[in-house]
Amino acid sequence: MRRFAAKILGPGALAFPTWAYAVFFFVVPVALVLFYSFGYKPDEFTTVATDRLSLERYAESMTGSFLATFAATLRISVLGTILCLLISVPFAYWLAVKVPANRRGVLLAIVMVPFWTNFLVRTLGWQIILSPDGFLSDGLQQLGLLSGPLNILYTRAAVQIGVVYNYLPLMILPLFVAMDSAGQALREASYDLGAGRLSTFFRITMPLAMPGVASGCLLVFIPLTGDYVTATVLGGANGSMIGQIIANQFNTAQNWALGAAMAVVLILVTLAVVAVAAAVLWLGRLITARLTRVQLEGI
Amino acid sequence: MAYGKKRANTTNALFTLWGVLVFAFLFTPIAVIVVYSFNSGRVLAAWKGFGFNAYVNAINNDIIVSSVITSLQAAVGSALLATVLGTLGGIALARARRGAWWAAGLTGILALTLVTPEIVDGIAFLPWFVTLGVDAGIGPFNNGLVRLIVSHAMFSVAVVTFIIRARMAGIDRSLEEAAADLGASPWHAFKDITLPLAAPGVLAGGLMSFTLSLDNTILSSFVQQPGYTPWPVYIFSSVRVALRPEVAAMSTVMLVLTLVALGVVGLVLRKSGESSTAIIKTMAGS
Repeated sequence: MRRFAAKILGPGALAFPTWAYAVFFFVVPVALVLFYSFGYKPDEFTTVATDRLSLERYAESMTGSFLATFAATLRISVLGTILCLLISVPFAYWLAVKVPANRRGVLLAIVMVPFWTNFLVRTLGWQIILSPDGFLSDGLQQLGLLSGPLNILYTRAAVQIGVVYNYLPLMILPLFVAMDSAGQALREASYDLGAGRLSTFFRITMPLAMPGVASGCLLVFIPLTGDYVTATVLGGANGSMIGQIIANQFNTAQNWALGAAMAVVLILVTLAVVAVAAAVLWLGRLITARLTRVQLEGI
Repeated sequence: MAYGKKRANTTNALFTLWGVLVFAFLFTPIAVIVVYSFNSGRVLAAWKGFGFNAYVNAINNDIIVSSVITSLQAAVGSALLATVLGTLGGIALARARRGAWWAAGLTGILALTLVTPEIVDGIAFLPWFVTLGVDAGIGPFNNGLVRLIVSHAMFSVAVVTFIIRARMAGIDRSLEEAAADLGASPWHAFKDITLPLAAPGVLAGGLMSFTLSLDNTILSSFVQQPGYTPWPVYIFSSVRVALRPEVAAMSTVMLVLTLVALGVVGLVLRKSGESSTAIIKTMAGS
């Protein structure tokens, strides 16, 4: 009896409410979206019907403007992820290795402040900065660096700045954690054994930080691909992202079947990009591992 | 040697410069919003002069005030819900036997919720709430606040669960076993030993879910009901019309309040004897 109670009250039972919640409010509704994507829109006033299932909505979604927007979205999100990574690696390294340990906590807290400010409000800050009659534009013109008003707001460049800005803390944090938690002793050993700074960075610090790089890229790339708020605020008519097209199917066109099919395409493409990136990384690691082994054997 | 040292100094200076530049990049838009909240003009981006009108107008604007209240209510509600569910889930996962099917399944589903684009959550919840509330007639799901709380908690649960799991994984299980050996009932061992050990993680998780909920725009815009428009959705809708300095003023007030709340949480964690880096890491959920 006691054993039975322990089994019922064991960790599995403790997890039951979380399980139930995740199934009822995530698995079921997302499965429903998948189901709707095989349906159709019967008439003007009905959002979806599923009595006849087909792949027609997927074919219908593959229009020129959908594909063009999708390509533009991927360009922005892939470039945004790479830029975040390039900005964050030296920064996280500086924070985790160069800054004295007693000041690290304060600086890390300061990095987190933007993260705790509403991201839409921060984006509005960029709208003011980049505005053609804003202070930056006026200042640059007075300095003679610019002949006309700043012409960047409502372009793809503004969207790119905005997304890099908004998702940067999500890249810095995992990188910092990965660089901070391990490696100091190994780095010192590497120096003692005569390795230079660059060699130590690329052969000790970066390999150890790879899990941080991977989770940072995921944390930036996936939400960025689905985001359309930043792009709407800073890109205006030029900032249409794939998320906006999907949202329009639900809000304006009231065509849930088509919107659902587009959302499924979005998920599949996002996962495909992640898989390709992971494969490239894995291959790269394999090749470098092989090269260094050969080198060691040569000695 | 002297040359090497000089070169090291140069690289260090370059690193510090990069650090300063990144900080400037991170804070410029926030500083701009704070400064422009004192714009006495009618349009946010066009500076007309210094004044506190925006603050007065914001407080007297019923739509702004009610949207902020809705947001705060949704944030508190979803933080509580996500914290309870996430704490249970996180402790369970940290205590799971290796290879337990339910643990693998739960980790998988929660990881999926983290990597699902928000727009997909939004379009998934919209029909689901209609199904539950209108078709199945479960009244609470027609309430705007319930919808916000339930949907926001959905994606915070994963964050809280993983924070608690990380926290509990680093803690020796023998304390709970000792309590059981000394005759404590499972409930008492849980309440007196496990929960206090998990407390910093619980606090961090709750804080994370609170801010995630306050920030949420896309999901909220799908599940919102008339009368329950949260603050970010209000801002997003006014972006398309014309932005007034009131938005910046209210945002500045909320920024100050958030910083105060964070400071308090930091102090509480410091009292519990954590190092400052560990505190930030816990609060950031890593």
